Amino acid sequence: MDSILQPYIIRSILAILLIAVNASVAGSFTVFRNVSFLVAGASHAALAGAALAIVLTIYGIFNLDPIVGGAIFAVFVALSAGYAARDEGINTAIAISFAMSMSLAVLFISIIREYAARVWGLLMGDLFLLTDHDLTLMAISTLFVLIVAMLFYREFLFVSFDMEGALAFGINASIVNYLLLTIIAVSVVVMLKGVGAILVYAMFVAPAAAANEVARKISDVFILAFVIAALSGFFGILVSFYAEVSPGAIAALMASLTYFLSVAFKKIK
Amino acid sequence: MKTIVVENVEFSYNRENALENVSFSVNEGDFVAVMGPNGSGKTTLLKLILGLLKPKSGKIKVFNLDPWENREKIQNYIGFMPQKEHISSNFPILVKDVVLLGRAARKRFSKLTKEDEKKAKEALMAVGLENYWLKKFNELSGGQQQRVLLARALAVDPKILLLDEPFNGVDIPSQDKIIEVMDKLAKKGVTILMVVHNINPLLHHINKVILLNRKLIAFGPPSEVLTAERMVETYGSSIPIVVCEEGYAHPLFGDTHG
Ligand SMILES: Nc1ncnc2c1ncn2[C@@H]1O[C@H](COP(=O)(O)OP(=O)(O)OP(=O)(O)O)[C@@H](O)[C@H]1O
Ligand SMILES: [Mg+2]
Repeated sequence: MDSILQPYIIRSILAILLIAVNASVAGSFTVFRNVSFLVAGASHAALAGAALAIVLTIYGIFNLDPIVGGAIFAVFVALSAGYAARDEGINTAIAISFAMSMSLAVLFISIIREYAARVWGLLMGDLFLLTDHDLTLMAISTLFVLIVAMLFYREFLFVSFDMEGALAFGINASIVNYLLLTIIAVSVVVMLKGVGAILVYAMFVAPAAAANEVARKISDVFILAFVIAALSGFFGILVSFYAEVSPGAIAALMASLTYFLSVAFKKIK
Repeated sequence: MKTIVVENVEFSYNRENALENVSFSVNEGDFVAVMGPNGSGKTTLLKLILGLLKPKSGKIKVFNLDPWENREKIQNYIGFMPQKEHISSNFPILVKDVVLLGRAARKRFSKLTKEDEKKAKEALMAVGLENYWLKKFNELSGGQQQRVLLARALAVDPKILLLDEPFNGVDIPSQDKIIEVMDKLAKKGVTILMVVHNINPLLHHINKVILLNRKLIAFGPPSEVLTAERMVETYGSSIPIVVCEEGYAHPLFGDTHG
């Protein structure tokens, strides 16, 4: 039997650690700000963006990394949802952008039929196919998310807690809100390559939501979300090393199960 | 010294005016009750003073500054408590975190200090929740949550307090305690504007009343403002006024049987 410490396994472990940081930082704020639907919106926008990048590259118009194209689209959707909604109706605005980006994704994919597999790769994701280049991009984006979240931690909390109060206490709530939506979108794209658009929702929202149920203070949510995401990911890698299944699927399954367990745990307690 | 001056202010969200013809001015240490029916523009008035809305015409000065143009500056002097039926925070933010939010917002990127904690604790003491420092905000009752939000406004050492229905769901003994605290602050020179539906618990402490119904119906000392005719003009129905032993005119909302 091969040793489990193959380069592709080590890369997938590193990817899980990066994904767990995003699930903790951006995932928790997604739950606090109550915009978990944005995760679905941003990931599908990223698909459209990636497809467009491939179209542009194929026709020699512009050379764009699909992931970068995806990130641009995801951030754009996050910002326009924030702009359209300002406060209460944000989920409706996300739903509309979601519908729009899916239409664009299908449109672009239909243009590039023979290359569509590359976009499907983003839809399914594969932890075992990550390259060093992918990992570097993921690490840079994660660093960006971490730094912004640390700098604006109190502002993000205030805006999530009560927008009106934040405005009245001198916080530039609209800029803070846009920044928060931006890091969520960037985080979504970081995860995309690893777990795919279909599963990103589970890996992103479930750990923080589970942590949120049982945590006794805010810092607990961040720590627990990281632990849940990382353990789910490692478990996924371990299982798929021995059985031919998608590691992302196992990880997402574990993360979602943890959510239901923590809800049950809270009820019993 | 005049702290807030409002001159001929008109404001509308869409076509219809939410406020028109509003003029008044309040001084340092004034304790003012703002009254009027639902939709009469009370919250709108507070938001105009905070610089969150821009008047369509007319002038507002807070410490001699136009709040819309100097929002950051004037907000440094103001403690605000928003009108909330219930806050739907779904995350484990602690009472202390909520009270500190206001102070933290003003410090930008610098760290919170012992001084901040001290002020936050004092503010919680003022609303009688000093033992709730480490409790989760979303596990408090509605009235307790209101009091925490009030503490957040008090904790910033405001020169002006704008309170939008701070007594929603707050029990009477806590109300009385909070009014005592306000009284002391006003005597120390803090200007207080408080939106209330029931003015009676406040009557012996305030020195001015604003009656609002899209227009300014009346402004002045409670004994002059709270007349049967003005109440009809404001609320569209007659509300009896009873003068208490100490000579204050009390409007009797609803409880006219006694
Ligand atoms: N964001 C808004 N957009 C449009 N119209 C608004 C908005 N906020 C308030 N209004 C309208 O402006 C008017 C005044 O509202 P405001 O909230 O100031 O009333 P209020 O006196 O505070 O009422 P309440 O006692 O119910 O709190 C109302 O007719 C209301 O419908
Ligand atoms: Mg109001």
